[in-house]
Amino acid sequence: MGDVNQSRRTFLKSLAIIAGASMVVGLLRGLEVLVPPSVGLTSFPTLQLVDENGNPIKASDVPVNGQKMAMFNYPLSNEPNYLLNLGNDSNQPVEIPATTVTIPATGKTYEFPGGVGPNKSIVAYSAICEHLGCTYPELTFYPPGVKALTFNGPMDKVIHCSCHGSTYDPYRGAAVVTGPTTKPLPTVQLKWDPSTDYLYAVTMIGPTIYGHTDDLSGGSPISGNSTSVAMLSNPALG
Amino acid sequence: MGMAKRSIGDWLADVFHLRDIPFMGVPSYMFSIEYWLGGVASAALIWQALTGLLMLLYYQPSDAYNSTMAIIHSIPFGAILSSSHLYGAYVMILAVYIHGLHVYFKGAYKRPRQFQWVLGVLMFTMVMITSFVGYSMTGDVLGVDAVDVGKGILAGLHLSALTPIFFGNGTDLDLFTRLLGWHVILAALIALLFALHFYLAEQNGFMPDLKEAKYKAPALLDKSDQRIKPWWPRNFVFMLGIIAMTWGVILTIPSILAIPQVLDKIPILFSPFPGPSPTSPQASLVPAYPPWFFLFMYKMADMPFPLAVDVSMGGLIPVVVLLIVPFVDRSEDLHPLDRPFLTALFITGLTWLVELSIWGAGQPGIPVKPLWLLLVIVPPFVISFAGIYALHFVWRGVKQRIINKAVSNSKPLPLNNKLLTAMGALVTAMAVIIMLLSFTLNPVTQAPFIGLSWGSLMLLFAADVFIYFNYELR
Repeated sequence: MGDVNQSRRTFLKSLAIIAGASMVVGLLRGLEVLVPPSVGLTSFPTLQLVDENGNPIKASDVPVNGQKMAMFNYPLSNEPNYLLNLGNDSNQPVEIPATTVTIPATGKTYEFPGGVGPNKSIVAYSAICEHLGCTYPELTFYPPGVKALTFNGPMDKVIHCSCHGSTYDPYRGAAVVTGPTTKPLPTVQLKWDPSTDYLYAVTMIGPTIYGHTDDLSGGSPISGNSTSVAMLSNPALG
Repeated sequence: MGMAKRSIGDWLADVFHLRDIPFMGVPSYMFSIEYWLGGVASAALIWQALTGLLMLLYYQPSDAYNSTMAIIHSIPFGAILSSSHLYGAYVMILAVYIHGLHVYFKGAYKRPRQFQWVLGVLMFTMVMITSFVGYSMTGDVLGVDAVDVGKGILAGLHLSALTPIFFGNGTDLDLFTRLLGWHVILAALIALLFALHFYLAEQNGFMPDLKEAKYKAPALLDKSDQRIKPWWPRNFVFMLGIIAMTWGVILTIPSILAIPQVLDKIPILFSPFPGPSPTSPQASLVPAYPPWFFLFMYKMADMPFPLAVDVSMGGLIPVVVLLIVPFVDRSEDLHPLDRPFLTALFITGLTWLVELSIWGAGQPGIPVKPLWLLLVIVPPFVISFAGIYALHFVWRGVKQRIINKAVSNSKPLPLNNKLLTAMGALVTAMAVIIMLLSFTLNPVTQAPFIGLSWGSLMLLFAADVFIYFNYELR
């Protein structure tokens, strides 16, 4: 043991500690292996609305006042939206005017472009509640005369979520009517081709779709250049 | 002021009560790889658990092949993850073989360590099966072939009733879901048996130097031996060195093989990545190889016997023989030449294993004619037995003289102090440079080079630990 010198010993020990620290630091970035590759799109696609057989949907085919809930995914396959043809109390389509919508959470506003179609009565909104992500069948449109129990009392002609009671006004850009939500439902901007009566989804407006860091990531893209519309029964109608 | 200077090590030891860990300390001569072969296998087991759990985040039984390839091509560092999991298994299998042979030749399976040996044999068979299952999980052409062979073997043993239990109801989804499930279950069982094996190893103690034990069982370390120093910190630091060395090898080899210019020249048996998909046209060009550690069994299946006989001779009988070794050989003789029959049998078996493996790689699936069989099987048998018995008689003549010679405390010549310090400084400088350079590399496109950097960092750290020990142990 005689020739072990304390300072040389400390030096060798420090060398091992530095090499060990280099090893740990070098390997730390390996934690990135936990991050899954992101899926999604780089820009908003223009997708034609078609039925489940792939035939184009005409604006005149969209049921008025949610007698059926017409649902389609856009821009990603896990981002469902409602296609609504809004009407008055006698179920005649009414024009939905452009308006400015406020996001209560941030105080910011954005321009809602209004309805499309022959009567300018067709709108589309995200079908994922901005409060905590409930979707069909909890989140649905209450047609005229069918009252949802909201925090402001019984209301019809609203989109209401039965999970936690959030209420949106689809006639005014799905603006917040009652909480607990602090954000309106994002709008799908639609385009209507008057010569064919076909409908297209063009882009999203408003807050980010619930559960996504941005509208274009966090889900698989929809293949092809159309998205199919499913006609589901409206749970508000029992 | 006035406070005694305490090192970080002392602080750690206080906070985590490291000095109270009930692990055994060892005399200095045991800080040599020979006494840490089980440690190498354990380090590989830990690597397998870590990388396997990470891959569990990505592997999809519903899309086995594509999700495996996605791990390699799209996940940051994914190529390193999957290739080092494969080579971790290879290193573990080799380490288990070497550990087992070393234990055999030292007679360490004898009392009081019989059940350590039995657990070891059980873990060995489970490691082989787990590796087989893991290899099939990629869903490449080799993996799918391996599953078909597995089903054939069960049928050959009249155990077809077990096929749905291991391989599912016939759908791909059920197959890969079960392979994943069994892989994890078997790995967990290995970890459980390992815990027991390790506990027994701690209680029975390291197998001491045979000369000190006078070649007689039971060979035990005297716990009051003055040369024994506490487990903390020496054994702990040496263990870190062994782990870093093992992980370094596990990372370095497949990373070198994965460098594109090298990858082209690697035979499919040693490729760090899965083979082609079974539905791709290239699949027809690949011989239906099993993983290399089952090549011997592949050649057994070419033998002129029914499959049940092939499998029994190639797998079941050897495992049973291994399991009963400590109960058949109850003598107190530790020297392999005092146990000539078993030693000759082990050497014969090992030679057959190597012969059949190489033969299986060279002539996959070509039926064996009885004459060839005799030419391959008989000579190793005759040479081993004749040679070992001859050595046995020579050994008996000189044994007493060797045993009675005083145990010379011969140590490897310590290296020159300045040389040792210079080596340490060089190793550390290289580690720092490699660490810095590794940050310039892209985790997806330059994965092999990052794997190589990480492997080098581990090997360099291990080198520094061993350099320190070379000095410390004087």
